[in-house]
Amino acid sequence: MPRPEQKLIKLTIDGREIEAVEGTMLVDAAKQGDVEIPYFCYERRLGQPVGACRMCLVEIEGIPKLQTSCSTGVRDGMVVHTQTERVHEAQNAIVEFLLVNHPLDCPVCDKGGECPLQDISFGWGLGRTRVVEPKRHFQKPLALSPLIAIDRERCILCYRCVRFSQEIAEDWQLIFADRGSHTFVSTHDGHPYVAPFSGNIVELCPVGALTSQPYRFRARPWDIEGAGGVCTLCPAQCNVEFTVRDEKVVRVLIREHDGVDDGWLCDKGRFAYQAIHVDERITRPLVRDGGQLRPVSWERAFETAAEIARHQGRTAALVGGGASNEEAFLLQRLLREGLYSHDIDSRPGGALPLELARTLAAPALQASVPDLEFAHTVLVLGTEPLDEIPILDLRIRKGVRRNGVKLAIASPRPSALDPNAAVSLRYAPDGEAAFLSALEAALGHASSGSGDDVASLAELLRSGGEDVVIVYGESLAPAALESLVRIARLLGLEGRDGAGLLGVPASANGRGVREAGALPNAGPGYAELGAPRGRDAAAIAAAAAGGELSALYLLEVDPVRELPDRAAWEAALHHAGLVIAHASVLTDGLRDHATVIFPAESHAEKEGTVVHPDGRLQRLRAAIAHPGEVRAGWSVIAELARRCGHDLGVLTSSMAFRQLVAAVPFYAGITLEQIGGRGVRWPERPEAAALPAGGGSAQTPGAAAGTVQPAAAGQTNGHLRLGTYRSIWAAPEVEISPALHYTIAEQLVELSPADARRLEVGDGDEVLVGSGGTRLRGRAAVRTGVPEGTAFLATGIAQASANHLTEPLVEVRRA
Amino acid sequence: MKPLIFDNIDEPGLNTLAVYERRGGYEMLRKALAMPREAVLQEISDSGLRGRGGAGFPMGMKAGFLPKGDMPKYLTCNADESEPGTFKDRELMQKSPHMLIEGIAIACYAAAITQAFIYIRGEYRLQGDILEAAIAEAYAAGYLGDGILDSGQPLSLVLHRGAGAYICGEETGLLDSLEGKRGNPRLKPPFPAIQGLYDGPTLINNVETLATVPHVIRLGGKQYAEIGVERSSGTKLVSVSGDVQRPGNYEIELGIPSREIIFGLAGGPQPGREVKLWFPGGSSSPVLTRDDLDLPYDFDSMAKAGTMLGSGAIIVVDDTHTVLEVMSKVVKFYAHESCGKCVPCREGTNWTHKMVHRIESGEATPMDLDLLASVQTQIIGNCLCVLGDAMAMPVGSMVAKFRPELEAEVEAARERAGTPSLASAGAGVPVH
Amino acid sequence: MSAIDRRPPVPRFGHGSRVPGWDVAVDLAKPPATVPDPATTPVPDELRSEIEQAMGRYPNPRSAAIPALHAAQRHHGWLPPEAIAQVACVMALTPAYLTSVASFYDMFALRPKPRHDVYVCTNITCSLLGADEIHERMIELAGDHPDLNVCSFECLGACDIGPMASVNGEYVGPINLDDCEQIARDLDKGGPVLEHKQLRFRRCADPNANPES
Ligand SMILES: Cc1cc2nc3c(=O)[nH]c(=O)nc-3n(C[C@H](O)[C@H](O)[C@H](O)COP(=O)(O)O)c2cc1C
Ligand code: SF4
Ligand code: FES
Repeated sequence: MPRPEQKLIKLTIDGREIEAVEGTMLVDAAKQGDVEIPYFCYERRLGQPVGACRMCLVEIEGIPKLQTSCSTGVRDGMVVHTQTERVHEAQNAIVEFLLVNHPLDCPVCDKGGECPLQDISFGWGLGRTRVVEPKRHFQKPLALSPLIAIDRERCILCYRCVRFSQEIAEDWQLIFADRGSHTFVSTHDGHPYVAPFSGNIVELCPVGALTSQPYRFRARPWDIEGAGGVCTLCPAQCNVEFTVRDEKVVRVLIREHDGVDDGWLCDKGRFAYQAIHVDERITRPLVRDGGQLRPVSWERAFETAAEIARHQGRTAALVGGGASNEEAFLLQRLLREGLYSHDIDSRPGGALPLELARTLAAPALQASVPDLEFAHTVLVLGTEPLDEIPILDLRIRKGVRRNGVKLAIASPRPSALDPNAAVSLRYAPDGEAAFLSALEAALGHASSGSGDDVASLAELLRSGGEDVVIVYGESLAPAALESLVRIARLLGLEGRDGAGLLGVPASANGRGVREAGALPNAGPGYAELGAPRGRDAAAIAAAAAGGELSALYLLEVDPVRELPDRAAWEAALHHAGLVIAHASVLTDGLRDHATVIFPAESHAEKEGTVVHPDGRLQRLRAAIAHPGEVRAGWSVIAELARRCGHDLGVLTSSMAFRQLVAAVPFYAGITLEQIGGRGVRWPERPEAAALPAGGGSAQTPGAAAGTVQPAAAGQTNGHLRLGTYRSIWAAPEVEISPALHYTIAEQLVELSPADARRLEVGDGDEVLVGSGGTRLRGRAAVRTGVPEGTAFLATGIAQASANHLTEPLVEVRRA
Repeated sequence: MKPLIFDNIDEPGLNTLAVYERRGGYEMLRKALAMPREAVLQEISDSGLRGRGGAGFPMGMKAGFLPKGDMPKYLTCNADESEPGTFKDRELMQKSPHMLIEGIAIACYAAAITQAFIYIRGEYRLQGDILEAAIAEAYAAGYLGDGILDSGQPLSLVLHRGAGAYICGEETGLLDSLEGKRGNPRLKPPFPAIQGLYDGPTLINNVETLATVPHVIRLGGKQYAEIGVERSSGTKLVSVSGDVQRPGNYEIELGIPSREIIFGLAGGPQPGREVKLWFPGGSSSPVLTRDDLDLPYDFDSMAKAGTMLGSGAIIVVDDTHTVLEVMSKVVKFYAHESCGKCVPCREGTNWTHKMVHRIESGEATPMDLDLLASVQTQIIGNCLCVLGDAMAMPVGSMVAKFRPELEAEVEAARERAGTPSLASAGAGVPVH
Repeated sequence: MSAIDRRPPVPRFGHGSRVPGWDVAVDLAKPPATVPDPATTPVPDELRSEIEQAMGRYPNPRSAAIPALHAAQRHHGWLPPEAIAQVACVMALTPAYLTSVASFYDMFALRPKPRHDVYVCTNITCSLLGADEIHERMIELAGDHPDLNVCSFECLGACDIGPMASVNGEYVGPINLDDCEQIARDLDKGGPVLEHKQLRFRRCADPNANPES
């Protein structure tokens, strides 16, 4: 659905002429014209107005009854009155009615001071009550979930929270039960409202009925300050506002950005701020001493780390997604210029050929986030947005729901978006290349008539409309990506506005750190390396384990925890003589092997820039001072470089940014001021042309590759294929945030009903999953959607993570 | 006047296809199918047939609002009949279900609709069973199905049973309920004729309205319009109940004096009693008094008298009952049935309910009647649908028309409860 | 214990709700109630096929929510959470959605109820004619009768036979206090209830309605 055309019209409100886009709801148009109309139930982001609270009634000339301005689209020549006797009477009436059952317990209410009901009662009510009848009473507060408390007395039944659950998150868990004045917000049979986006209802609630358990009674509005920031706990990079009290982040709110988050936040982003202020956080430099990591002075830490200078040519670095562009940029400088090594990587799945990397980053192929909402067709390929880039899950749903976007899903594992999809197909884990070449072949032929899934997907992509956006995951191997590029070209997506590719990196700033040069085969800006190419992640592990590398620099990443093949990384870290890490949590690999740990900044402390998967440079700003002895990451790298005899020439973070811009041609001219609070999408700027063109990748796929490996292909002597998934909650920050403890789950082994039956495993049974000599313990989850022949295991979790397993086939049996 | 809808209504077996056909059933469907759609619609418009479900909106005009074109369109027959005092559709569906089916088929043909539903209240189990059987017969006989009577006009008709909620009689609440949701009314606009069931254009009419359609076709629209009075054409089923000697449904010609219905047909109150007040069109209509008994019973006359003909349910209350007693039942009903979606209705009905309870328990003063009346004016016109108004208007009318009696009842209740007399307590509404 | 938890309990205005859960916290040990997975939610075949048939009748299967809940209530006698989960599983909806729908309508019971439904109309007409006493009497009778589910109902659309009641869907009236006992006896016997007062046999009140007969 191409974006609707916007027509400007003029209307009059209270005698003022106001210009607005035709069809804008009257409340919004009035706001633009500086006329304030009170309202409760309306919320633009929630879509269709419900007109339930009746607070927004106004008089429109030519219509006898008062109208709800929240549901009336503006038309040219409309004449509106908001200050007449009739309107005032209606407003007074509604305020009085709202307070019939409201407890007016403002002094002990967490919402006090930032409560729309308070404000509107004051501004539009009569300030007295004629109610002498008893109000309705409930026990209060009650738990609605581990994160949210509900006070049903305060609820004005405005519909916002239930609409969020039903129409935005579409989890349909939060409901109204009963009817009339008995209506109350509820869930099914006392189940908690646990869902990845549940926290949004706290922010939506216009009274103190829904409050955040972690924030309750932590502060009053006059105690706090708001500081704009960007959440870098995942690649979605939602814009947030940190609520700060006494240099502590006590709450995270949305800072709506249509181009990024559409005004929503996931519960990880909203509640994992707690990891900033817990005892588990590393806030002092640590050095291994007698086998133990001990807090030391910065001087001592630098001294130890500066040993790295002696490992020239034998040092490798891994860059995690929490790192800023500047940190990645400076680190690759240190490595390349100071230590003569190109062994730096940030892509867990293996390096891409440079040509391919350039093609995938090319402006002509980039789709933007809002394109998801207005495309004809969206294909989600090899990624689960809900887990890997949660906020896009909501965006994709929105497009399907509101604009009739046709959705296709192709993935090994069932997706939360399957029910919304027109076509949803499964390929085997590691089967993506075969799948894509089959798709490519199907697209090449005119309608083949064959009714299989790939053919119907091809048909949908080909004839569903030109604007196709393909969201793909980082797990795709180079061959699959080559195929993907050809498919994009076949579909004519190149250079097409509103269409293109959107790559979801495995880590928050994956795109940024690669553009900054954290790749073994490219410098900043995907520049060709004069020198021989470096090792990618897997090769680094092998080389370190084999003694070819003697120092490892881990910038906000613990490969033992995060990367595939845990055993290989354990060996690598074990054998490296020097392991330097920037970290804020002591994960397994670091606890066992790090030589020096520099305390890393949280996203609320960092200054710098990051790049959104759609190419938007965003700016991180310090909302709070560094706790303990934490220092800025860029300054630590710069200082270490100086001590290694290689001065990088940066004294401030903005100097680092200027160096980055100078080094990356397609960033040319961008300033921090331009990025400001809203970001700059570099692919939209003319300077984007400076990105070297990628290769043609023209070869056609082999004829033999025309079929998808059927997902249900039989088992190999009773073994199942291993598929992995990484839950939204699988993150160290989540584990140490007390409010999110409930999300820590044991290993869930997802099995198809048929396999479960065959293996005599019941839902919830304990199972052992083995490959090679490794056995993992987990709990079976029998799921109808799981294709027969595959077992899915979680990675990225602290215990029994699937990265212990390396073979493609596993044996599953009851423990 | 010879009855139209209730002609032969008690004939044994009329609910079966055989008897209905013997009585000329489905001939009008044949006749209509032989006419161009537009002509059928024109007959309906010419008849001046106004909706029998409550609002009295001309059916022809409503059907004319449906956009032309190929999109899926729906007809929904409103058989929720929950307005207190109303029971006409029940008798009609129970005894002559095929008349309704025939009317639906003709209306669907006229408006180019291929999918129809009857939303019947869940409590009408017997009537639902009878309709289900009749629908099956009609399918078997080719009056419903892929091409009705070989005309090429397909029509599928599904009976949908509700589960007990008055608000599902409100047309948009009905649509949500039929879509499998809570029966909350929707914002209007968009009106159902433009965007209704499953977002498609939807024609919603009452059972009686649709059952009248075959008669309109038989007589011809202009001829039908001759019956009754101007702007209230035709016959109407009136449900008379309460303090009358012969309660029941009567088919009358619109415009006859109300007295003729209440006394002539229904026999008036028991000997020795007098009419105190009456609802002319269900419990939602503002009440009338014995002074209004000579009003002509038609849409406009009732509107002029500040009330409405509504569903045609006359509830008669005689002088053995108090106004407070009646008011209390009305208020309890609406407080129970408010869907709770919009604030003025939800809180207004529930507050009013508590206020009336306070009056009854002798804790009120006559000044509370002002508060009661004021709350009613705060409800009227401010709600999402008109359920709120449907309580506020009759309650408001009772306070306005029976103030002295209500004041006496307030005092009497205080006395009963032993509340200190006003003189000693100091009158007034407590201020909080 | 925080200061908040130490407060004395607030005196309650007893209004309650017929829907469980209105005044209690959720059970944090339970998992979220998402769409039930057919692999782990057994549904009785008969119920499944009834629901599936209902779904087939509508352009949008969700329209079958009320018919499906009726079916589940017939099957289980009321709508326990498991019944709702079964409907949810067949319809691929969340149980919460169906709880929300079910709790809107008076005919669905979200708490266990006795087998025989006796809805006594206590709306205007019937109460003018004495329904409140009938209701009280029925409640009394239900007191020592394990199978009687007596509810006061709003207008059942049969004011012509007021005061009236719907006994397992069968409309009977006008009823007097003696009839109440008879209703209970007839229900025990299992035959027709108050047969001579069943609405299905009543002739139209309009003397002109059937001029030829
Ligand atoms: C609260 C409320 C309840 C209603 N109940 C019924 C009803 O039970 N039956 C009915 O036919 N119309 C009822 N209506 C009127 C309908 O909304 C609608 O106007 C009617 O079904 C249209 O059909 P008609 O034009 O044939 O009368 C009700 C309206 C309101 C506001
Ligand atoms: S007026 Fe009453 S019934 Fe109508 S929407 Fe509002 S709350 Fe619901
Ligand atoms: S904001 Fe318009 S009705 Fe609530």
